[in-house]
Amino acid sequence: MASIVMKNVEKRYSKKDEAAAVEDVSLSIDEGEFIVLLGPSGCGKTTVLRMLAGLEELTGGEIWFSGRLMNHEPPEARSVGMVFQNYALYPHMTVFDNLAFGLRSRGVPKASVKQRVHDMAELLGLSGVIDHRPKELSGGQRQRVALGRALVRDPAVFLMDEPLSNLDANLREQMRLELARIHRRVKVTTVYVTHDQNEALTLADRVVVMDGGNVRQVGMPDEIYGSPADTFVASFVGSPGMNLWTLEWESTGDCISMGGGVLELPYSFLPALEEAGRSVTVGIRPEHLGLSLVKADVKVVCRVELLENLGSHSQLHAHLGNEDSNDSKNLVARLDSNAYVDPGEEVVLTTSAGAVYLFDAISGERIEVADARYVHQENRYSLA
Amino acid sequence: MTLTATSTTAEVPSISGHPPYAPVNRRRLVPQRFHYIQSRLVAYGLMFPSMAVFVMFFYVPAAYLLYISFFHWGVLSSATKFVGLANFRILIHQPLFLHSLLTSAYYTVVMIPATVLLALGVALLLKEAVTRRKRGAGVWRGAVFLPHVTPVVATSIIWVWIFNPHFGLANLVLTHLGFPALGWLESVHWALPAVMIDTLWHSLGLYVIIFLAGLSMVPRELLEVARLDGARRYQIFRRVIWPLISPTTFFVVLLSTINSWQAFSQIFAMTGGPHGGAGGPAFATTTDAVLVYQTAFIYEHFSLAAAMSLILFGIIMTFTLIQKWISDRVVFYR
Repeated sequence: MASIVMKNVEKRYSKKDEAAAVEDVSLSIDEGEFIVLLGPSGCGKTTVLRMLAGLEELTGGEIWFSGRLMNHEPPEARSVGMVFQNYALYPHMTVFDNLAFGLRSRGVPKASVKQRVHDMAELLGLSGVIDHRPKELSGGQRQRVALGRALVRDPAVFLMDEPLSNLDANLREQMRLELARIHRRVKVTTVYVTHDQNEALTLADRVVVMDGGNVRQVGMPDEIYGSPADTFVASFVGSPGMNLWTLEWESTGDCISMGGGVLELPYSFLPALEEAGRSVTVGIRPEHLGLSLVKADVKVVCRVELLENLGSHSQLHAHLGNEDSNDSKNLVARLDSNAYVDPGEEVVLTTSAGAVYLFDAISGERIEVADARYVHQENRYSLA
Repeated sequence: MTLTATSTTAEVPSISGHPPYAPVNRRRLVPQRFHYIQSRLVAYGLMFPSMAVFVMFFYVPAAYLLYISFFHWGVLSSATKFVGLANFRILIHQPLFLHSLLTSAYYTVVMIPATVLLALGVALLLKEAVTRRKRGAGVWRGAVFLPHVTPVVATSIIWVWIFNPHFGLANLVLTHLGFPALGWLESVHWALPAVMIDTLWHSLGLYVIIFLAGLSMVPRELLEVARLDGARRYQIFRRVIWPLISPTTFFVVLLSTINSWQAFSQIFAMTGGPHGGAGGPAFATTTDAVLVYQTAFIYEHFSLAAAMSLILFGIIMTFTLIQKWISDRVVFYR
């Protein structure tokens, strides 16, 4: 096991490139920690992983493994095991030879190779297919061979590049559980790249959200979900993402009215709003909005566009306010499956003050709402 | 409801305002057999021009070659006499023919490994240059292929000059390096190697391109994962690249075998005089193909040359089948 420290890591593919693939990434990963790099396609997460593996050279910054500078170390000298998106199994070798390749390359004695490969096959449930070639295996078995090949050498760092993306939904879920089980057992420092937030939130000790080559937020899964650092993290994490509306506010006699009355907030938001300025971005997660007859702190007026029944719940698509033009702001709410509203109907959705997030309208950074903190804490455990 | 002339489907007119029955597909009314014949005719029609050329210039001469090998046949003579296997019997007892077969075998045995090693080596270097984005990699790739598109006769004349024992570049380099000068095309021992060097130089580009295509089929991730697994360069080559490009290597070996057994152009251009006396000195470069040419067009024994060609065909076919048998056991097809 190794700890990893990245200091101002940068990658530019060409000197002419104005936009770096990875820019100023600094991160510290403890021994045995499971870190997930989460972000949309092209955000630089795979580039970070490849730089950790030594497959890409850094154009700036430093990478340290357990206090040893790795910038100029070749991949074979880093004690890194890696699982690729397409598994990268040697197609001409059997499962045994795939698992044994790394050990043989490093001159491990034959008897030890045999023992370790059989132990790994046992751990991953591959004993029955040990003499098969990759094309004779199912997707899940190939996935396990790729994992085994990376783990059998006892690497100091384990890297995984979207390892579940080629599997179907059921198998993905099954393999996700298996990955968690394997990590608990071997406890090797792991960096896992994905664009799937479910994988990130369920597997990670800490999640690193990336966008445009930059780290947007580092935190435990419940922090990422419950206290997003900015509008990007808020909209990217969660399914569907957080509703975000940039509105102007005014103080009325009873409450704070936003967007000309489409949204009502309690007075506890006043200090934060005054700090933010006249225009502010308000965020509410779809799962925190509901149709309620009980008097609530926060009210949102909207006009229904469509109600989708998804079995376990219904998803409401609406326009903020009472307009139904395409220019108006959209709203998504997750309602009970027995909820019923007509398209075109004007409804009032409610939520608690703690479910409302405020973001700076220009920078997108989150503004702390002092009184709502305890409720945000509660939200951390109500993952979608 | 009216039928229009352009529509392919039409509805049956309704009677007394009832909705029409299911629409009738007019195409179904035409017998399916007709469509089958029509599509076949179109296919054969499209293939006819190329098939005609192929039959006229390949199958007909090959069949005629087989025919005249059993006859005593002269190109200008009308007296054709059936002689059975006599032509083959003559050849078996002719030392020059057996010598030509040995020369062809020697040429083939040297050329196959030389071609594979050299072409694969150059292809690996070029691939490395492209992967590492070295400047001029594309230019080098073009430069390697360039000799293959130059005329054999023209380049062979340059090679004759290079191998000139008195003022040629080859001896200049050798003597400069401290080696003795060689007789090259005037030497019984060095004439065939000189031809081999020319042939290698001329054909290398083609084999390099074939190997480059094979190398590009090896997924980059496999090479990366092998590096992460701690494999050294030669281990990566021996245990990952070599097995994965085995179909390409087999193809190159096959092509090189066929071309080597048929070696003619370079020998003809480098060792032949104005009267077609190629294959010297002292028959040192007389391969089977050269002997076929000389027997047919200099000594005008067409039947004998036809029999030689058939034997050569048999040898090439046998080698090809042996290679196929081996490849089925060692070549990895994904």
